[in-house]
Amino acid sequence: MTVTMIKPVSDQPSDPSPATPSRLRTALPGIVRWTAAPVAALALFAILLVIQGTNPADAFSDMISSTFGRQQSIEQIFIRMTPLVLAALAVAVPARAGMTNVGGEGQIIVGAVAACGTYLALGDSMSGAIVMVTMIIASVIAGAAWAGIAGLMRLVTGVNEAISTLLLNFVALDLLLFLIYQPWRANPVGQPATRELSDAAKLPVISGTKVHVGIILAVVLVVVVHVVLRKTRWGFRIGVAGGNAEAARRAGFRVGALLLSALLIGGALAGLAGFVQFAGVEYKLRPSFGHQLGYTAFLACWLARHQPFPILVAAFVFAALGVAGDSLQIDSGVPSAAIYILTALILMAVLGFTTAKKKARI
Amino acid sequence: MSDDPAPQPPQRPLLTVLALTKHFGEVKANTDVSLEVWPGTVHALVGENGAGKSTLLKMIYGVYQPDAGQLMVEGREAVIDSPADARRLGIGMVFQDLRLVPALTVTENVALAMPGGITLKLKELKAKIAESSERFGLSVDPSARVEHLSIGERQRVEILKVLMTGAQLVILDEPTSVLAPQEVEALFRVVDHLRDQGFGVLIVTHKLNEVRAIADQATILRGGRTILTNVVPKEHTDDELIQAMVGHSVSDLVRRPATVAEAPQPALQITGVDCRGDKGHLALKAVTLTVHRGELVGIAGVAGSGQRELCEVAMGLRKPDKGSVLVDGAAVQSPRAALGAGASSVPEDPVADSVVGRLSVLHHMTLDGRPLPKRGFGINWGSVRNRTESDNERVGLRIAPPHRKLGELSGGNIQRVVLTRELSLDSSLVVAAYPSRGLDIANVRQTQQVLLDRRDHGAGVLVVSEDLDELMGIADRIVVMHDGHISGEVLPTDYDRRRIGQLMLGGAA
Repeated sequence: MTVTMIKPVSDQPSDPSPATPSRLRTALPGIVRWTAAPVAALALFAILLVIQGTNPADAFSDMISSTFGRQQSIEQIFIRMTPLVLAALAVAVPARAGMTNVGGEGQIIVGAVAACGTYLALGDSMSGAIVMVTMIIASVIAGAAWAGIAGLMRLVTGVNEAISTLLLNFVALDLLLFLIYQPWRANPVGQPATRELSDAAKLPVISGTKVHVGIILAVVLVVVVHVVLRKTRWGFRIGVAGGNAEAARRAGFRVGALLLSALLIGGALAGLAGFVQFAGVEYKLRPSFGHQLGYTAFLACWLARHQPFPILVAAFVFAALGVAGDSLQIDSGVPSAAIYILTALILMAVLGFTTAKKKARI
Repeated sequence: MSDDPAPQPPQRPLLTVLALTKHFGEVKANTDVSLEVWPGTVHALVGENGAGKSTLLKMIYGVYQPDAGQLMVEGREAVIDSPADARRLGIGMVFQDLRLVPALTVTENVALAMPGGITLKLKELKAKIAESSERFGLSVDPSARVEHLSIGERQRVEILKVLMTGAQLVILDEPTSVLAPQEVEALFRVVDHLRDQGFGVLIVTHKLNEVRAIADQATILRGGRTILTNVVPKEHTDDELIQAMVGHSVSDLVRRPATVAEAPQPALQITGVDCRGDKGHLALKAVTLTVHRGELVGIAGVAGSGQRELCEVAMGLRKPDKGSVLVDGAAVQSPRAALGAGASSVPEDPVADSVVGRLSVLHHMTLDGRPLPKRGFGINWGSVRNRTESDNERVGLRIAPPHRKLGELSGGNIQRVVLTRELSLDSSLVVAAYPSRGLDIANVRQTQQVLLDRRDHGAGVLVVSEDLDELMGIADRIVVMHDGHISGEVLPTDYDRRRIGQLMLGGAA
């Protein structure tokens, strides 16, 4: 079949991307499905609300007005999406190399732990800028190292990184708990926590808002990751290794090093997410640090099909749902856990409606 | 129309295809295609890749609806809307990729295809299968699990399945492409048997010798049109048939005698190598083999005699347990070392081993083992494009446009991309496993020519093939493998199918 379509090479378009004649027509079913998915999810959620005894129309309008109607809420969305974006990138980069990084949670925690440890060690003896840069470096290294453990296990013993990164999450959590219950504990009574960052060591906010500058960093890194994956030799190589490791090996690529490097960069991004959450939002470590950020980001990354720019959208949606959940609890008396149900419904609906079917070859 | 359809023309053709046309947008897959298949007749549908054979089959089997034209079954006009319609009309299809469930037994697989109630009545069915397999000359063990059967046996199960569901016309879609030579003979005996029992057989192929061996009638497609319709192959010369297929005659191989280069070291030197296969068994046993620069060595052997492992050891893809491997004098421990020493290779299974479905032809052209052409941190795609264009011209296999994704290409087109990439390099060693697999006559010839050109440019060339004619046509000597050993070596003056065949089976020459 295919041969009949082949033209001489000389008259091919000069771009490697395929020239699709009817872009709109091919895109249309996609648009329909992307719209249908959240609608279906909201319909199901409405049924749940009715069962629970809440008027869904009121609840939805409350949610929308309280989420998007107040500057404060909109700022909250941006604050929440910042670590989500970074931690989702931490899934996307290894995914390009064909690996599943479920360890964002642990890498975030060790990133924050490293940042906190750095602060506690340096104290306020130096200028805020130096402390902050050192904290960033420490959290990036810690996150990368945590992922690197899983990477080495994969290379040396062949343990699947999806399992090892997941298990390392629990180790990281225990490490966090140990540190804040014992050596780093600042308050003898009450919920254990570390000393709060001094103002100089906190991430500055964008003037006129409460949004810290981490969001700028996150957006910049989305662009950087996009460019690195699409345009660099390293990005091309991990794409080949992720698509077919045997093909990469036969092309003379160092497949092991490529997989490890992709996982290390993922870990570094998650470590950075930990720093951002620590120095931009929470300012001290507590047992609940992070609120399952890593897992939410994992889902956001799947929703975005592991593509950097869609991650911005997915992280925004998840952050908005979180904010909406809080207001739902306050305004309509619906338990905020209900929002997790809505989140899950949306995720399943989107994945279910939009997963491209394998196209038949003619 | 032939004036004399083979033996004793019965009343009506089983299938008449009348001026079928099917276009997909710009692509004219079939235009005005006609043919007839008579009972007790084997009809070959012949054409290159992309000639429109698959489209025609899919219309006959109800997968596609024709844009124009007519299908008639036993003289009556028929509308075939689905494969189920086709089966009801007595048309059965054996696909190239066999559609059996490996974990089930033969009986269970047949049961899946049989109409019937809720209960399976496997015992009855088993007896029926045994009886039918006798009647149709298809030796099949009804209680064997399909996963334990060879490809040839699986194919027989498929044919049996089709016959037991009441097919009068059996369509075989490139049945020999997956078979070893001995299995092809067995298949042809089955086809003979079907003809004798009055079935109609439509067999798709692009190999001339198969047409000669089995077909009573032939229809040749090219560019979606019937060039020759219902002809008797015997009445035409090879040249006429090839010309009908490819539109021009295929030039003979230009072959100069080998001039083994006075190189300081051989292209490939394998000494005393033991090596394990994927299943842990010893796949190579004390193998010693030297390929000189400027020499083309053919490797013959029954499938699974260690050819795959030999190629992988030479390319540094598989570590030997014992012995040494040198490419152009350099010890080979890794793929990088082999590539660095100037080796290039055509893998046995390119789809599994060198294709990333979502990447384009252009992307794949960079995966040749040389450093990626740099531009800053990125890749200089302009230079890759220029290189690809000149490689394509030089190698002459007309690869698909650079932007096409490999996942969308057929096996033959993928093979051409890999061949073009690997055979355009100035290599010290070329390891080519089944280089002509999936290619049509003209491209097979072209590939063989390029392999010889590589040799003449001073490369050592190692070619593994199941086609003895191919090896005897191009190899300066043939090394025969049997069960992981090298069982013998044959020089051109002694080329003889029987002699090589004996060595393949482990006997002394």
